[in-house]
Formats: sequence, C-alpha cells, structure tokens
Amino acid sequence: MLLLFETPAGFALFKVLDEGKLSKVEDLGKEFSSPDSARKVVKLKAFSKFENTSEALEAATKIIESSTSKGLRKFLRANCDGEMLAVADSKLGNAIKDKLKIECVHNNAVMELMRGVRSQLTELIAGLATQDLAPMSLGLSHSLSRYKLKFSPDKVDTMIIQAIGLLDDLDKELNTYAMRVREWYGWHFPELAKIVQDNILYAKSVKLMSSRDNAAKLDFSEILPEEVEAELKEAAVISMGSDVSDVDLMNIKELCDQVLSLAEYRAQLYDYLKNRMNTIAPNLTALVGELVGARLIAHGGSLLNLAKQPGSTVQILGAEKALFRALKTKHATPKYGLLYHASLVGQAPPKMKGKMSRSLAAKAALTIRYDALGDAQDDSMGLENRLKLEARLRNLEGKELGRSAGSAKGKPKIEAYDKDRKKGAGGLITPAKTYNPSADAVLGQTPNSTARNVEEEEPAKEAPVPGEDKKEKKKKKKRSEEVTAVPSDRNEAAEQDGEGEAKKEKKKKKKHLAESDGVQNDDEGGKKKKKRKHAEAEQDDEETPGKKKEKKKKKKTED
Amino acid sequence: MRPSMSRGLAADHGRGASRTHNNAGRGGRNNAGRGGRGGGAFRAQNIAGRGLGVRGRGRGGGRGGASGRGGMRGGNKAVIIPHRHEGVFIAKSKDDALVTKSMVPGDSVYNEKRISVQNEDGAKVEYRVWNPFRSKLGAAIQEGIDNIWIAPGARVLYLGAASGTSVSHVSDIVGPTGVVYAVEFSQRSGRDLVNMAKKRANVIPIIEDARHPSKYRMLVGMVDVIFSDVAQPDQARILALNAAYFLKTGGHFVLSIKANCIDSTLPCRQSIR
Repeated sequence: MLLLFETPAGFALFKVLDEGKLSKVEDLGKEFSSPDSARKVVKLKAFSKFENTSEALEAATKIIESSTSKGLRKFLRANCDGEMLAVADSKLGNAIKDKLKIECVHNNAVMELMRGVRSQLTELIAGLATQDLAPMSLGLSHSLSRYKLKFSPDKVDTMIIQAIGLLDDLDKELNTYAMRVREWYGWHFPELAKIVQDNILYAKSVKLMSSRDNAAKLDFSEILPEEVEAELKEAAVISMGSDVSDVDLMNIKELCDQVLSLAEYRAQLYDYLKNRMNTIAPNLTALVGELVGARLIAHGGSLLNLAKQPGSTVQILGAEKALFRALKTKHATPKYGLLYHASLVGQAPPKMKGKMSRSLAAKAALTIRYDALGDAQDDSMGLENRLKLEARLRNLEGKELGRSAGSAKGKPKIEAYDKDRKKGAGGLITPAKTYNPSADAVLGQTPNSTARNVEEEEPAKEAPVPGEDKKEKKKKKKRSEEVTAVPSDRNEAAEQDGEGEAKKEKKKKKKHLAESDGVQNDDEGGKKKKKRKHAEAEQDDEETPGKKKEKKKKKKTED
Repeated sequence: MRPSMSRGLAADHGRGASRTHNNAGRGGRNNAGRGGRGGGAFRAQNIAGRGLGVRGRGRGGGRGGASGRGGMRGGNKAVIIPHRHEGVFIAKSKDDALVTKSMVPGDSVYNEKRISVQNEDGAKVEYRVWNPFRSKLGAAIQEGIDNIWIAPGARVLYLGAASGTSVSHVSDIVGPTGVVYAVEFSQRSGRDLVNMAKKRANVIPIIEDARHPSKYRMLVGMVDVIFSDVAQPDQARILALNAAYFLKTGGHFVLSIKANCIDSTLPCRQSIR
C-alpha cells in the first residue's frame, strides 16, 4: 500500500512495508516513536518537489478544495502502479479515483500512519531537514493567506503614501534647482530673472539661447508670450551681465535639462497619483480631491488606520501642533488641518470655513470608511456627499445673506430636503425659472428652446445663464451653479469638472460678469486662485511649483 | 498562586479600599475585569487622599486589580524579573506588569507599552507589556495558572488567533527556535494576523476553518501544545480533531471555555461538563 503525504516542499509517496501492523491501530503510534522503527514501517518511494512558490500555491489551493492538481496527477500516474493509495482526505480519494482510476483508502489506520509520518517527517525524507522545511512552510502559508484574503496589488495604499512623499520631495528639489539656474545664469544675463517669472519657462529659454547674444536671432514663440519675448530681446542687447565661456554655458544648459526632466517627471508622477487615488479611494477623491485625499491617507499611515479615526480627528489632521498647544494652554483649538486645502472649504466664505470643515470632515470620515472597508467600485457615494455639502454651503451662505438683507420677503421658498425626490440632486433650494441663453445664440440654434425650468430636463451641453429678475445675484449664481454642477457631476468627471470648476471660481469672486459663455469657455482653469488645490489639479502643471510653495507656506501657518 | 490582595486589604479602613476588597473577594479569577475597574476607582481616590496612597503601593504586590489596567506610565524605571513560567517576565516598578521579551524590538503590535532595559553587557532588550484584559492567556497567567506548557522552543498550534494580539506574545515566548501556527477564519482579523506575521518569522498564519484541519495539513507539522480559544459550541470536537492530526504523543493542550458559547440555555457547570 502506498501513502500520499503532502508537505510544503512537495508531494511524498511512502510505501508501507508491513501491512500487518496496520491492523493494530493503537500500537501504530509506538512504531513511529523512533526514526529507526519508523523506517521499518514506511519507506519513501518517490518525492516530487515543487519548482517554485506558485506551483506550491496552486497545489495547496487544490488540496483545500479536495481536488487534484496537474502536478499531483502526473506524480501519481508515474509512481503509483496498481497499488492501493492511502490519503488523508476521503473527498480527495474520490477525486483521485475518478481521474486516475487508483483505489484510495481512508480510515483510522491511515490517520495513525499520517500522524507517525508527520512526527518523523524529516527522518523519513532524506534530503529534507527541519531548517529547510520551515521557511518553505512560512512562504507557502503567506502566499496562501494572500490568496485567501484576495490580496489585490492595486488596492495597496502604500503606493499612495510613497507617491505623495516623493511629490513633495520633487517639488522641493525642483525649486532648489530652478533657483540655482536663475542665480547661475544671472551672472551672465541678470535681467532675464525678472522678465521670465516661471521656473520652467526660464529653464527652457536658457536652454534655447545659451548665450544672450543669440537671443536676437532666435524665436521664442513656443516658450514665451510675445511681449515677454520682446522684452527679453531688448534686455539681451543692453544687459549688464558679464560674458561666460562655452564650457560654463554647457554646464548651465545641463542643469536646465535636469530641471526640465524633473518637471516632466513630476507631471507624470502626479498623473500616476491621480490614477492610484481613483482606484484605491474613489469616493474620497470625489469628495475632497486627489491631493488632499492622498495627504490624508499618508498622514494616517494607511487607509485602514484613517478609517478608524472619527470625523473630529479627520477635521484637524495635520494641525496637531496647534491642537495640542491650544489644549495645553486652554485656548481655542484649530478648526481645520489638511482639510483646509479641500475645494469645499476653500470656496466657503471665511466665516463659514469652520462649519464647512466640520461637515466636510464628517462626510469625509464616512467615505473613508466606505472606501477602506466596503466594496467601493465607483465614486457614487462620494459625489452624492459632495452635492449634499455644496447644498449645505449654499444654505449657510443663504442664511448669512438673509441676516444681512433683513426682510424675509422676497426670499425663495426653501423646501425640505427629500433625497428621493427626482429633480435635482438633493437640492434644498428650488431653482429659479431662468432664461435659456441658447435662445439668443447666433449660430445654428433655434429661438424656440423650451428650457424654462432647467432643472426638469438637463441637457448636458446647454447651461442657463442666471436671469436678471432676481435681486440676490449671488444666490441665483449659486443656483445656476448647482444646476450646472449637477449635469457636471452626472457626466464624465474630467471634462465637466473643469466647467464646474469654472463656475465655482466665478462665484467666489462675486463677479457680475455675464456668464453666458462661461460654460463653453474651457480655459477658465487659467484663472489664478488662491488656495485652490482642486483648481490646481486642472491647471497647467507649469504653474504648480509656484503654487505649491504658496500652499506649503499656508500649511505651515496652519500648523 | 492566589492573589494575596484580599488578605492584605482586610486591615484597611478606607471606603475605597473596602470596595476593592469586596470585588476581589467575589472571585478573583472571573472578575479580573471588575477588580481592575474597582482598582481604577480606588486609584482615582488616591489622588485626593494621600493617606491611602501607601496602601495602594502595598496592594500592588498582588498582581490583580489596578496593575491589570496595563497602565505603566511613561518614563518609569522598571526591574525585570523572570516569572515562574519560562519565557514570561514581570516588570516591577510602581505598578507591576506582565511582560514578554519582544522578538521585534521597536514595534508595538496593538499599541501596548514597551519597556527597554539595558543588560549587563550593555545590550538593550525590549519587553512588551501583556495586557490581561485583552488576552485570555495573559489573564490566566496573572491569575496563577499552573502550567501553560508554552515554553521557549515549543511548537504551538493556536486556534482562534483573531488579530494576533495574544499570538504575538506566544511568539515572543517560544522565541526564534519555536513555531506558532495561528489559525483564524475571519478575513478582517486574518488581515491583521498576516500583517503581524510578516514581521515575525516564527508565526505561520493560516486563514482556514479550524473545523477542517485536513485543509491545512500541508502547512502544519507536529506540535507540542495546542491552545484553543475558538468560542464555538463544538470546540471540544474541534480540539480533538486538531489533536488527532497534529498533536504529538504526550503533548498538551490549553482550552479556554466560554460557557455561554457551548449552550446559552444550560447552566454554566453543565456546559463545562
């Protein structure tokens, strides 16, 4: 009779030398008390080693399911000729019988044999010592556990933490190098530093012209706008910098190359970070943005750790120094930490920032938990929460205005929040009957557009312009913004996000410009905004280093 | 080793003290939790009344109530003396604590306090505090169990490993020469267990149902001790099955019984029978 024994190193087939002993099950244990007597009962007939961990893992998973793997079948076919096979699992025995037509047996005697073999395993299998078996067992168990826990490599938040750390490092380095380029080249052409403000453009210009004498002949139109180019050429002629040799210019150029490649890498890294954030924590990204989300995760150590924190902690994550100082001296604690840079807090008026930060922290804590512990495949929950928060913001601002405006008359009716109501997305304020601007567009549009109540049907392309029949322009702007924000968020995030962004930006500045072509205008992102990480995401990456410096200072003042 | 605190406190005449005394007397073993909380109240009163302070320190000699809170204040100097069980130590300072020698210095598994001590030859050794309120094995040792059978170099099969808080201490005790096979079926806890096992080379995590030892027969060798903390109604059968597969002849087992789990309708004694 043969005995099939599975080890982490491979499959072993033992031949039972004395079948008579099997009848006395109790004494069988004694037979295995010493290696010599054990060898008298069974002998190793064949051993099939696993080539690598993946083969071992495959075999192990098949064993768990009580089915045969290919390796096992091959092994048995080769070595088990005609004899009875003792197995540890009757279901496995059935499977073997079906596939390979080998008779299998499983009973108490077999189990005793297994026990004995297990206790003397290292003696019975010649090439296998305890110290070999242990790491194999460890490795196999870890692979098996990972397989069981459905470990998915794209849901690892370590990548995010490392990426955001690297992003900060890169920014610092980039800034240092860019400053160095300016200083170094300033010896040759000092005026250029004041003419070209942006670091990347500076490096590009230096790379293009090397010596300032070439400036007049060259064309800078791809890099610089026209007036700047003109200034540059002027200054190049009358510059007071001294001449520099070619070797030195070559070195400066190499530094510029470094700066440019670093900037490019930073852009790539940022894209990668955005990708990962959207995979790992889509709802959090939808709520606060990629950068703030990544910083929160990095601060918390891991997504799971962050999920364990209550909303109040999420609110002041990043402002620990201020927090503990305030607690010790019995002063007011800080109202916001990392969340200050979220777009929702940024666009709130200064008095409302604290309230927004608290509400945002509460919702953020929920989305973090949903992302970390639930099966979050899409970002619907994050978007829903975002809309709720935006509505709350409008509500807050409305209250504020109402107080300053005084009379209760003339304000629109505020309906109770009902999430099952179809129109809008949990909107609190009934939208105005607004005028559809496409009615008066010149090219190719019929004047009979019907969109009166825009919230009823929301054609994705058209967006209404706030009408003039409302007194409070700000509130109306918000409403229109809500309406455009809704189709924005319903459709692809990327394109509409920019438009939604544009809307928010306008609101903040309280401009009274006609916004009829606001939605179609795509380069709204070009508007400089303070403290708008979210907007920054849409902007050209060339502007981000400068912005980041501002933001870093901001963060430091927060702490 | 009965907790001696009941006798020591009989002489006390503070109201807080007598309250604690009562708690301890009601059954030190079962009410380690209550004693701790009572002890906490006692200590809070301590701050107000200095007269009781002396007795508080004396009470620390019996390792029941207050020290069980696991609260060693930071910055305490502690003396480490070995416990009766091999591999376990006691840290003596203002309050005593049960500790094990950490296999991964500098790392806390479940935010427990760590004590660093300098050896004679200058090497720094780190000990981790074992909280008996979080670990049944720790509580058993503190209450004076006769023999835990887990010693340095032993091979242990730990059924019901949960997140690995007790397993980490068992791994500390058995040391690098021993092995701990930790079996846990739940996914969430299993994740924490695997993360803990990544740092310790002598813990082998097994995410399987302990009811079917044949499923993980490939990973486990013969063991010296089985520690079972599964809290299932058929836990005796589970233990027997695992022992039949993996426990060596002449091996031992330690079983934690939750009478409620066996059968919530039967009275406690009958379940244990």
